[in-house]
Amino acid sequence: MHGRVKVRTSEEEKARKEKERQEKLKHFKYAMLKIFTKRKNIEQDQEQLDLTGKVLTSNPDIYTLWNIRREVLTILSKTSDSEKNVSKLYDSELSLTEYCLKINPKSYCSWHQREWVLTTRSDPDWKKELALCDTYLKLDERNFHTWDYRRFVVSQCKPPLQEEFDFTTEKIYDNFSNYSAWHYRSKMLLELYPDLKGGRPIQDNHHKHELKMVQSAAFTDPDDTSAWFYQRWLLGAVKATVQVVAFIVTPRKTTIAWNKCVSIDYVNNNINVYINNNIINGKWIPCNAHEYDDLWILEHNEEINNNIDIKIEHTQIDEEKEIINCKQYEPCVYVGKSKINFQNQYSEPVVQELTEQLDACRQLLVLEPDNKWTLLTTTVFLHCINAKLYHKEVIENLQILKDLDSLRAGYYNDLITKWNIEQQLPSDYQDDSLHYKSGSKEKLTSLPHFQYYSYCKTVDLSNQDLTSMTLPFLIKLQHCKELDLSGNKLTTLKEFPNLQLEVLNLQDNSNLSSEDIELFKEKHKTIKVIF
Amino acid sequence: MSFKTKDVVLSEDRPKTLLLQKHSDFLASYGVNKDDYEYCMTEYLRMSGIYWSLTAMELMDQSSRMPKEEIIAFISSCQDSESGGLSASNGHDPHMLYTLSAVQVLAMYDRLDAIDTEGVVRFVTSMQQEDGSFIGDKWGEVDTRFSFCAVMCLSLLHRLDAINVSKAVDFVLSCMNFDGGFGSKPGSESHAGLIYCCVGTLSICKRMDALKCDELAWWLCERQLPSGGLNGRPEKLPDLCYSWWVMSSLSMLNRIHWVDKKNLEQYILACQDAETGGFSDRPGDITDPFHTLFGLAGLSLLGNSSIKRVNPTYCMPQETIDRLKLEPQILYV
Repeated sequence: MHGRVKVRTSEEEKARKEKERQEKLKHFKYAMLKIFTKRKNIEQDQEQLDLTGKVLTSNPDIYTLWNIRREVLTILSKTSDSEKNVSKLYDSELSLTEYCLKINPKSYCSWHQREWVLTTRSDPDWKKELALCDTYLKLDERNFHTWDYRRFVVSQCKPPLQEEFDFTTEKIYDNFSNYSAWHYRSKMLLELYPDLKGGRPIQDNHHKHELKMVQSAAFTDPDDTSAWFYQRWLLGAVKATVQVVAFIVTPRKTTIAWNKCVSIDYVNNNINVYINNNIINGKWIPCNAHEYDDLWILEHNEEINNNIDIKIEHTQIDEEKEIINCKQYEPCVYVGKSKINFQNQYSEPVVQELTEQLDACRQLLVLEPDNKWTLLTTTVFLHCINAKLYHKEVIENLQILKDLDSLRAGYYNDLITKWNIEQQLPSDYQDDSLHYKSGSKEKLTSLPHFQYYSYCKTVDLSNQDLTSMTLPFLIKLQHCKELDLSGNKLTTLKEFPNLQLEVLNLQDNSNLSSEDIELFKEKHKTIKVIF
Repeated sequence: MSFKTKDVVLSEDRPKTLLLQKHSDFLASYGVNKDDYEYCMTEYLRMSGIYWSLTAMELMDQSSRMPKEEIIAFISSCQDSESGGLSASNGHDPHMLYTLSAVQVLAMYDRLDAIDTEGVVRFVTSMQQEDGSFIGDKWGEVDTRFSFCAVMCLSLLHRLDAINVSKAVDFVLSCMNFDGGFGSKPGSESHAGLIYCCVGTLSICKRMDALKCDELAWWLCERQLPSGGLNGRPEKLPDLCYSWWVMSSLSMLNRIHWVDKKNLEQYILACQDAETGGFSDRPGDITDPFHTLFGLAGLSLLGNSSIKRVNPTYCMPQETIDRLKLEPQILYV
């Protein structure tokens, strides 16, 4: 029951209402019984249409009654003596759905019945349907059933897409907070102006135009959220190509880390591992035990000695071959790393537009320093334009947002963590160290991108803000031998993954009970636990 | 243009503690009077009604107050021998929604033997279309809700192999939007309820990797309003059932901490009716079994220890999911 306010009434009123309801109920039960009996007796006639129609007008969600009507209509349209009468039959069915939709504009059944009539009859009037959508969207501009129905009608009568695109413009200028219209616009843009070169969601010149439109909407009322979501889409959504980021070979284990999840088929078909120029065969196992993973383990029987030549060849989607050479880091430990970069790439005109909008945001921020959306947008712009250059300011802003928009403090904390890790990763990838330690002063709250650190032998996660929720992420540390989790916020070790650790430091996790630790030790006998 | 956030204000005299006994009484008495107006008028969704009430009772550890044998006999009587599907009630037609509810109830009772499960598999399988989508019944309505019904139903029967899972996944992914969310069919606007269905489908099919998880989770956490309640789409009023649709999705995405749990808990508790028992969509509205389940399940996700643990994918007690040895995927990216 949605939106039905409880009203206090007198006993007298209650009794009167109950009597009224019992009367209604009697009629309802009688009608349902009659309908079901007629159905059983295969009496598919006008009377059945009248009976079901009457019940549906007050309760349009009784799905079986619509099914019965479809059965009856199918028969009646076949046995009718003239086209005109068939047409009439379907017209009155459309009137019924229209009536029901007035009672309940969100009735799935009524909408579906309308679709059924239009696709069943031989003379559908799609123009009329499109006009009906216009009318209904004036009554409620956010009814997603109406929007869905509009898309259905459009798919049937195929008006020029540009007309639909213009319709979204009109709707948005009517009311900038019409999220449904922004949504539809995103679909239209992808159809009309796709970025065929890949990379951005839409063509550059339109990209800039859309950004401007967002700006005029957002500046009209910064608290109106619709435009901001649309903007985040425009700024993000870079199609990341699949990339091998790191490759580690040790006598015990060989793993390959990717920038995104790939399937076993992809790994099998697109990866060759060479040792001294011979292809190595073996079985690839996903680290998370699922079909798609961003860290794959290779099981092979090759002996790994010192001073051998190891490389991998990755055939990319465009048939380009990417070669990653391994370097020996320690006795019998080889690591290959790619050049990695988390900076979003935009065309020159878009960067220019972003920079102009950033200035506008900064000006607005002077007037309204406490506006969450303005500050968040400023921050996103800074990150998009040059994440490295503006990193400090970005993190400071996110810290302010934690207070300004405290409901979502957890989101901002994780975003700080993610962008800090993205900041640190490229430089870690230039070093030859097998050690990880966070270089930022803000404490880590989660472990994103940790497949990138799968090559590390020692991982120092001490004195962070990690909770037990983050433990399953540690599965990425496939080559870690010493892990320091001291000084965190762990409460239980139940979700701790199976790792070949030698030493695990769990000191100063004040909510971790000694029973928990004992249980853990029992389960992982080979690990030296410091507590 | 004037603009105000659509929200409600919680009054000072709202319920602030969990009224478990009241809710159990509310659900136990629901439907005892078979001539009750509301009860009769909702016959067309009876099977789901039973699922909402029983699951809520299970979560409160009060399911013994439900007429078990009567329910099982009723469910058996609702199976259509020809198609294999189940209807909402006697005389009604088989449909995916009610087939799922029936299987969920029987799974909780550990009484799947009470129906012809092969018939159910036949019915669900026959609903899959060439493009991987599912229709609700033979009349052809396509909706991602039915994709979720299909994979949940079959996984509870350990027969996911009966359909083309990869096509089912591809269809759901074709419904993904610019904001990372999902709607009811390709092109449809994102909606928290349908996001739950689509993320749930991917969780059961173990393809959570295909989500744009940060974009989606951000959109989901932005559903939280100053009252603490959650809405289902931008610029809409809060509604208690979204504390389930949004929070279960965030749980599967392992990002439940992106909303303010304390404020949400306050909102959920405020939706209780201290007189009648049960939860409603917003404080002060009429309560019903649907919102009662999602209020309790939401509190369970928030870690309330007086309620049993609920599984975020199945919306059933975790103990049932463990007994069936099901392991829906949680995202660790």
